[in-house]
Amino acid sequence: MTRICWILYLLLGTLTVGAQDATEIITIADQRARGIKSSQGEMKMTIVRPNWSREISIKSWSKGTEYSLMLITDPPRDKGTAFLKRQKEIWNWQPSIDRAIKLPPSMMMQSWMGSDFKNDDLVRESSVVVDYTHMLLGEEVINGREAYKIELIPKEDAPVVWGKVISWVGKKHYLQLKSEFYDEDGYLVNIMLGKDIKELGGRLLPSRLEMIPADEEGKKTVIEQKSIAFDVPIDNQFFSLQNMKRVR
Amino acid sequence: MGTVKSILSFCLCCLLLTAKAQEEKPPNWTLNGYVKQLQTALKFDGLDAYLLDNLFHNRLNFRWYPTDQLNVRVEMRNRLFYGDLVKANPAYATQVELANNDFFDLSFHTINKNGWLLNSTIDRAYVQYVKGSFEASLGRQRINWGINTVWNPNDVFNAFAFTDFDYEERPGSDALRVKYYTGVASSVELAVKASKTWSDRVVAALYKWNIARYDFQALLGVANQELVFGGGWAGHLKTAGFKGEWSYFIPFNSDLSNSFALTLGIDYTFSNSLYLNLGYLFNDNGKTGGSLAELFNFELSAKNLYPFRHATFLSVGYPITPLLNAAMTWIYSPVSSQPLFLNPTFTYSVGQNWDLDLVGQLAFSDVQGKYKTAVIAGFLRLKLSF
Repeated sequence: MTRICWILYLLLGTLTVGAQDATEIITIADQRARGIKSSQGEMKMTIVRPNWSREISIKSWSKGTEYSLMLITDPPRDKGTAFLKRQKEIWNWQPSIDRAIKLPPSMMMQSWMGSDFKNDDLVRESSVVVDYTHMLLGEEVINGREAYKIELIPKEDAPVVWGKVISWVGKKHYLQLKSEFYDEDGYLVNIMLGKDIKELGGRLLPSRLEMIPADEEGKKTVIEQKSIAFDVPIDNQFFSLQNMKRVR
Repeated sequence: MGTVKSILSFCLCCLLLTAKAQEEKPPNWTLNGYVKQLQTALKFDGLDAYLLDNLFHNRLNFRWYPTDQLNVRVEMRNRLFYGDLVKANPAYATQVELANNDFFDLSFHTINKNGWLLNSTIDRAYVQYVKGSFEASLGRQRINWGINTVWNPNDVFNAFAFTDFDYEERPGSDALRVKYYTGVASSVELAVKASKTWSDRVVAALYKWNIARYDFQALLGVANQELVFGGGWAGHLKTAGFKGEWSYFIPFNSDLSNSFALTLGIDYTFSNSLYLNLGYLFNDNGKTGGSLAELFNFELSAKNLYPFRHATFLSVGYPITPLLNAAMTWIYSPVSSQPLFLNPTFTYSVGQNWDLDLVGQLAFSDVQGKYKTAVIAGFLRLKLSF
């Protein structure tokens, strides 16, 4: 089944090249980065500041935008802490006190563990495909790669913290090479760069994402994808309170 | 020679391959923990000087996964106490032991003289069997049924004192716990605490379910010669978190009166990471007057979580820098002695695995027409996690 989807996806990809609208480009790029159905992987996040840095390692499982599970594997202080998202609900497992805590929806807007990512960026409350309208602005070259420049405007009532996003998607492999995040007043807040492009989980992807706050020098948050597997079947039951406590 | 070499390289290859294969599956055991040093300065009303005490504390968390169905968890805290309070209080060792034990005696004093006390306590030691949606745990474990942040009327197995901030893991209960997950966010469980007599027996069942983005729970049981039933929820009001928890206790002895405990809480995180938590406790067994000094030595349980009838709670937290978090908690009781508990906290991340905390605990109340600080305590804690 996965194989058929994969072939369909490739076919669709080749057929539509040249005659694409912005929504299609974003859809393909999003599926590529995330998997059509699901993904699981390991990553390391480094928060870089002018005078210090901190690292966090995470294992994650996700299925569409509806379900995700994240487990912190490092540092030791937070090891075993897990986050479960099912549709609009998020729970946090604290192994040291043996308690699953329901997180308030407002927690989504908060920075994730002091990084330049919002909870929303990681737990993916919103979908770049569904929650935005897309417009092709033109083409530009990013790091030697030709890219589509696309403007994303959030739809009304979408659970999105941004006012506008400009995204550069590579023409050849639909890689998310660069994104600019603007707040509701139109100020540039964050720049995200996709770097170190290599084969991960059987497809070419940026293995390093850098989130750089626009007006603060020397600051950034780097996510290095250690491993990733796409569209490995995961049952919906996997994303349960029971499993949140059990995953290793 | 060539053959030996190729055999060797073949073996090496096999070894590397097995090593690689093993890497993909996490190891079947883990060991982690921390070492911390807690410096305490404590002053009671009527005492001229501060009492200075130290606690050097090591925790070891061991987990073993012999099969996919079975896991074993053993956790131990080793604490070395020394200082003025240890010296001044001859019952110190006994109090430490009593506060940490349950049915089985898993607390040991290795040193207990000249104001030095070395205690080792095993606060988790249990086997868990999991098959599909079914779980059974036997041994010393934490049965944490609470929902709210500060007060938990549903925590009938091991309610904790929030003033004891240094023990985030909380004591365990010697118990058997059986749980069945009826869905992704729903379950039914039964827990029985070991006891010699009926008087200190705790047997309770908890049912959890989820409707309309709300988690609900209902509780029914017998705890310390009382019938207890209660419930709780964790949901949201717009984008704020909204939690509540209540329990009703009916003593078997008809001479004693029934009692009710209820907590409500709302929390909200602003986009700049400012965190607000507002709460209320109604406690039938609480007093309507008296000094707050007894907060530090009163007998705490799910049916008596705070010394006073009413308590309001406000906590504000803000990361001043990503490494430095500041929080302030006020607990005020609108009763005649106007008791107020203040709890400022600073948490600083010194390094990747190092944390430094500065914590204050101040208790004010009206004693014979004078508003006084009954207790002032300051704590400085350095922690290395591994």
